Amino acid sequence: MNTYKIVSGSFIILAMTVNFGFFYGDPTILTEHNAYELFAAIVINLITTVLKLGDKTQLGAVLLSTSIVADIQLIASATLWAFSSYVLNDNSLGTTTAIVSLAGGALIANIVSVVLYIGDTLKSKR
Amino acid sequence: MSDYIFWIILKRLRVPLIVIIVSFSIAILGFMLIPGTDNEGHIYHMSFFDSFYFVTYMASTIGFGEIPYAFNYPQKLWVSAMIYITVIGWFYGIGAIVALIQDEALKKAIYRNQFKKQILRLHEPFYIILGYNSITKSIINRLNGYGFRLVVLDKSEEAIDTLILENFQPQVPAFVGDATNQHMLKLAGIHSKHCKGVISLFENDMTNSQIAIVAKLLNKKIDVIVKATSQQQVDHFKSLDLNHVKNPFKIISQRIYYSIEAPHIWLLEMWMYGHILKLRQRDYLPKGRYILCGTGRMGQAIEYGLQKAGIEYVTYDLNAKKYKQKYNTTVFGSQEDIDVLLDLGVKESVAIIAATKDDLLNLTLLNKAKQLNHNIFTIARENSLDELNIFQAAKVNRIYVIEQILADTTYNYIARPLSDLFIHESRKRDDSWAEIIVNMLNNVAGMNPKYYEKKINLEEAYALSNRILKGEKISLADIRRSRANNNDLLHIVYLLLKRGDEVYLVPNSSITLELNDELLIVADEENYEDFEYIINNYYELEYVLEYKEQNKRN
Repeated sequence: MNTYKIVSGSFIILAMTVNFGFFYGDPTILTEHNAYELFAAIVINLITTVLKLGDKTQLGAVLLSTSIVADIQLIASATLWAFSSYVLNDNSLGTTTAIVSLAGGALIANIVSVVLYIGDTLKSKR
Repeated sequence: MSDYIFWIILKRLRVPLIVIIVSFSIAILGFMLIPGTDNEGHIYHMSFFDSFYFVTYMASTIGFGEIPYAFNYPQKLWVSAMIYITVIGWFYGIGAIVALIQDEALKKAIYRNQFKKQILRLHEPFYIILGYNSITKSIINRLNGYGFRLVVLDKSEEAIDTLILENFQPQVPAFVGDATNQHMLKLAGIHSKHCKGVISLFENDMTNSQIAIVAKLLNKKIDVIVKATSQQQVDHFKSLDLNHVKNPFKIISQRIYYSIEAPHIWLLEMWMYGHILKLRQRDYLPKGRYILCGTGRMGQAIEYGLQKAGIEYVTYDLNAKKYKQKYNTTVFGSQEDIDVLLDLGVKESVAIIAATKDDLLNLTLLNKAKQLNHNIFTIARENSLDELNIFQAAKVNRIYVIEQILADTTYNYIARPLSDLFIHESRKRDDSWAEIIVNMLNNVAGMNPKYYEKKINLEEAYALSNRILKGEKISLADIRRSRANNNDLLHIVYLLLKRGDEVYLVPNSSITLELNDELLIVADEENYEDFEYIINNYYELEYVLEYKEQNKRN
């Protein structure tokens, strides 16, 4: 057991759970999705990405790439939200579903990441 | 390997990146939670976008001002706290990146990467030289760019720096690394299909032996050119199936032997190494009684040569190290020393050989001998190239420079394989044969002819190879015709012809040429240039071959 593994493990799982927290709810109603939760999801995902840096193994590379995908999706979601509400002043159904579904894509990447992480843990004999 | 650099950077940046992310997010969250007041006094909350925008320029110390409205006191308090945290985090991140650029480990990794890329870009045959010193420098000077490229490994950073300052053209990739380490040899491209061999001429026989074994195990196909200074070591290398072992002492011993027994064979060999093709009076070693000072590796080798030549000699067990311990100097010439020389019979002897490890001792010894007997022939061993001038100034009759011999023979082996073969073959003949050859060469090409190696293939002899491919029978005599007037002979001599494993020494000119024959040709520059024209140009070749046709008709 080492501290670094506990911290990185919890961040990997936290990234998924917070992401789910934002995604959960009616995708057509924006008020069911909390902006703070999206913020937390982005910050935690970024930290997770950084924690995954520097692992030279094949698994490390795949874990890192899932995180990068999640980052891209979540940041795209936040950017779309900011852009639609400040620049376009458009809160239509289309943008709402797009914001939520982008976060949904990130959630899948995070799930893949967690599955890989757990799979690797089970595989190791120690 | 570029991955390696990438991972170093990523790993080092982990902490700075986390510091930046955490400090930014705390600051952003704070601005969103703290209620602000707009111009009319209403309460409002900054949006995510507003606070992200503000924090971004606050942390990077750009500071555009308070937006969207002037801040109230709780907000200002938060700014003054956060400005320290985010700015410090930001600077820490930048500082880490700058430190990383200057990091030794990273620099080394980048340099290693460059070296590897340089090796990959080599598309000519190359040799890996282990150790950079005056011997290998002389080899590099002569080989680099002339059909071969070189790669250098040396343990000392200083040596590599000196090499880089030399500015060899084309560039000689060099890297600091232990030559006995197999990873270093791999890095230097021992597995490359262009790698022709490894040159290891270290002072220490053990190092050479270690390298030879590792190199041979890593790649069976390459040549390992290695120095050995004892017969035992030579045998060991031969058992490893190394085809090229350099023993400088044996070379000297052989040269002394041939110089006494067969001066013309000696002359042919020395001519290959740049001597003029003429025996001068001072080139003859006198016959009579020899004094051999020094009974080390070189002394023993020379003794063997003298015995073989049937020369009477006395030995004097002079050891540079012991001499220095005893007298605390290596300047030879005390009364005691003079007595020793007189006892050895310096007045009755015709030649004296100084073969110790110490250059100064050799020099002073010969000097003293010369004083005692003006007519004595002096032969010196010189260990390093740097002091050549001193020896020449001291008018020593013959100087054997170990480093020079190593550099020369290695160069000839790599760049002029046929000349090496010629020396080997000529030693099987007797002196009268060699004398005839020398006279013939002098008659055809003068006192200082050059020699060239030519392979008959499409690359080096385009027209000739094409005609041979068509099945035409062309003999050596057919192409030895002047291109100005085909009734005249071209002034060249075919010294050796190599066909597969067969070697024809001074081949009969009626021999029909075949593809991939290798020729050793002696000529002056002008005639050789003509020869090149003839074998490469269809029209010249046609004209030259007409002579044969005319003769057939007549």
